[in-house]
Amino acid sequence: MWVTDTELSLEGIGIAAAPAPERSSRAGLAIGWLRERLTTTPGRLVLTSVLLVVGAVCFGLLATGAEQSRERAVRSARTGTEPLLVEAVNLYTSLSDANATVATGLLAGGLEPPAKRARYTHDLLVASRALTALTSESGTSARAPAALGTVANQLPVYSGLVETARANNRQGFPIGAAYLRQAAGMLTTSILPAADQLYETEAERLQSDYRTGTASASLAALIAAIVGAVGLLALAQLYLARISRRILNVPMVLATVALIAVSAWSVIGLLSEQNALGSAQRNGSDSVELLSAANVLISRAQGDLSLALVNRGTDVTDPQDFAAVMRTLQTSGLAGRLEPGFITYRTTANRIENLENSGALGPAIQAAPAASTVSDRLSAQLVTEIAAGQERFTRSAADASSALGGLALAIPLITVLVAALALLGLRQRINEYR
Amino acid sequence: MSRPLRHVLVLAGAVAAATLAGCGTSSDHALRTTLAALDTPAPRAATGSPSITVRCTDLTASLRPPGSMPAPGAMPSGSYMAAIQRRGYLIAGVNAGLLDFGYLNPANGQIEGFEIDLVKQLARAIFGSDSPSHYRLVALTVPQRLPFVQEGRVDVVVDAITITCQRKQQVDFSTVYYDAKQRVLVPSNSNATGIGAFVGQRVCASAQSAPITVIQQHGATPVGAPQAIDCLVDMQEGRVEAISTDDSILLGFKAQDPNTKLVGPSLADVPYGMAISRAHPDFVRFANGVLARLRAGDARQRLSDRWHLVPTDTLPPAHYDG
Repeated sequence: MWVTDTELSLEGIGIAAAPAPERSSRAGLAIGWLRERLTTTPGRLVLTSVLLVVGAVCFGLLATGAEQSRERAVRSARTGTEPLLVEAVNLYTSLSDANATVATGLLAGGLEPPAKRARYTHDLLVASRALTALTSESGTSARAPAALGTVANQLPVYSGLVETARANNRQGFPIGAAYLRQAAGMLTTSILPAADQLYETEAERLQSDYRTGTASASLAALIAAIVGAVGLLALAQLYLARISRRILNVPMVLATVALIAVSAWSVIGLLSEQNALGSAQRNGSDSVELLSAANVLISRAQGDLSLALVNRGTDVTDPQDFAAVMRTLQTSGLAGRLEPGFITYRTTANRIENLENSGALGPAIQAAPAASTVSDRLSAQLVTEIAAGQERFTRSAADASSALGGLALAIPLITVLVAALALLGLRQRINEYR
Repeated sequence: MSRPLRHVLVLAGAVAAATLAGCGTSSDHALRTTLAALDTPAPRAATGSPSITVRCTDLTASLRPPGSMPAPGAMPSGSYMAAIQRRGYLIAGVNAGLLDFGYLNPANGQIEGFEIDLVKQLARAIFGSDSPSHYRLVALTVPQRLPFVQEGRVDVVVDAITITCQRKQQVDFSTVYYDAKQRVLVPSNSNATGIGAFVGQRVCASAQSAPITVIQQHGATPVGAPQAIDCLVDMQEGRVEAISTDDSILLGFKAQDPNTKLVGPSLADVPYGMAISRAHPDFVRFANGVLARLRAGDARQRLSDRWHLVPTDTLPPAHYDG
């Protein structure tokens, strides 16, 4: 009351005239309203109601934000980035396999084994399917379109060179080997590096989803919101207990229970989502990537072994690449996962190399299908394991998704309920003063 | 988590970039240069033979055959042939991509050709039989040919090696077994009548080979391919206008692509000899004896018919100088 008096008296003296003081007088009004509320108990109760509603809204927004960020990341990994990564891996693997298959097939002479021919055709089919999938969602990376363009433009040229190699080989002409060499050179120096870039891009995007999907920042935000909201509710109840004889305010207690319930649900949901997504990466997509790398290296070794025989005396790089690839398989520990098949493959390959180096090229070529059989078996074993890895990813990612199930709806609804109950509880007290 | 994998693929990518290339990146070139340096022991060749004063008055002259050739299976003791006989097989370096001379026949997986038949004749003269157990064929790349002879990894190289003064300082050569000529191969619809038609145009030959210099001398732009056969690929795909190298090679190309023709006169004489270590003059004489017997008989006609060679260039008359 006295504030108004002062204002009146001030106006009476005629000081307040400029617009700036007018604004300060408006602030003064607000402060006055607040002071008025603070001085009386019902006023304090109304203020508490406002505070609790604001707190509930803040809690709802923070918790929903944390939940939504996790949910978006899980959905993206599940239906977007991981399937695309698999496509990128398929592209790389099928192209490497095509190269090895065609080289091994040509070694057999004019009559290429139908199984090799069918496998090459299938490889190209898988590659173009993967390319289509990657093209329709090339994402935001700036270098992906260039890499996609390289693969799309050069793949037909590659297969053209392979067909020319075949046609000449069928006639018994050594120029067939020259065309094959050119095709293989094009694949390894330009197409596969582009496929590798696509793989890197997709792997980076999946990694980013994993990071967001398991970020501790969202969990921390959620916990901060919970602590704030529960704390506010607890203080309000303490205050109520002090001003009234009743220690328990039933609606307020119910609000607290609801708030703690939804909080627990959220925390457990986020924790188990994060756990499941971590497991999707560790046991799923990581092993898909690792086993695919092994598959690529095995194809590459077999391609080198065959190309070394086809290009015998014209190129010394294939045996060197073969040695490098075998070393990589061993030092990376991938060979260990392929036992005992890998030892068989190495033994067979060494026998062929020894025959070849001792000047027995004919017998070396005759022994080549044995190596191809072992490498095909290893590759088939890897494909089965890759499918199992992908299965594990799908399962864990689905777990991650269902761990968050319902939260998107529950958090806002229960928050409204909490706010309503709290208001109801306060309203009872306020009404006592009317 | 997937970092180790990324390493594997990156590594694989790096190896990929560094190998297998037809037309490659700069890192690939770096690797190839390094390999070429490893393959061509240029300083070794110089230090390896202290008596470098080789007379080059008659380029194609070689050592006279022995008065009487030893009977097969009874090589004179102490001779290099006796060492080969003890080993049980002859080791020859050959070509695997030169149709009708030495090439890997895709149909049967065997290396065949005129030069392979010469290796068999050597084996027959030593062992009395040319069964596959008596000879081994090692397919060599161009930079491997002379070092393999010098290091004793092969007994002889029969691989379209042109006899030159420079090479005669590193290895010994037999008498000439084929007298190739450098000529020009063009698409059959071309109006060109010789190398003169290609001034300023792209003409292909094996990189760093003698024909490249000749192409340059005639005003054409030389294009060096990793292998001679790559020139035919380049011409079929329109990257070069013509190929100029040994007619022995060009005839093989023509057989593989009927839409080509040889034009113009011989641009240079390209005599082929068997390369044998300078440490084994007895083996050089022995090989010349085998070639002399072939010249005397009907082998010349038989071999040129079988392998589509120019008969007058096959096993030409021998020159001896010592």
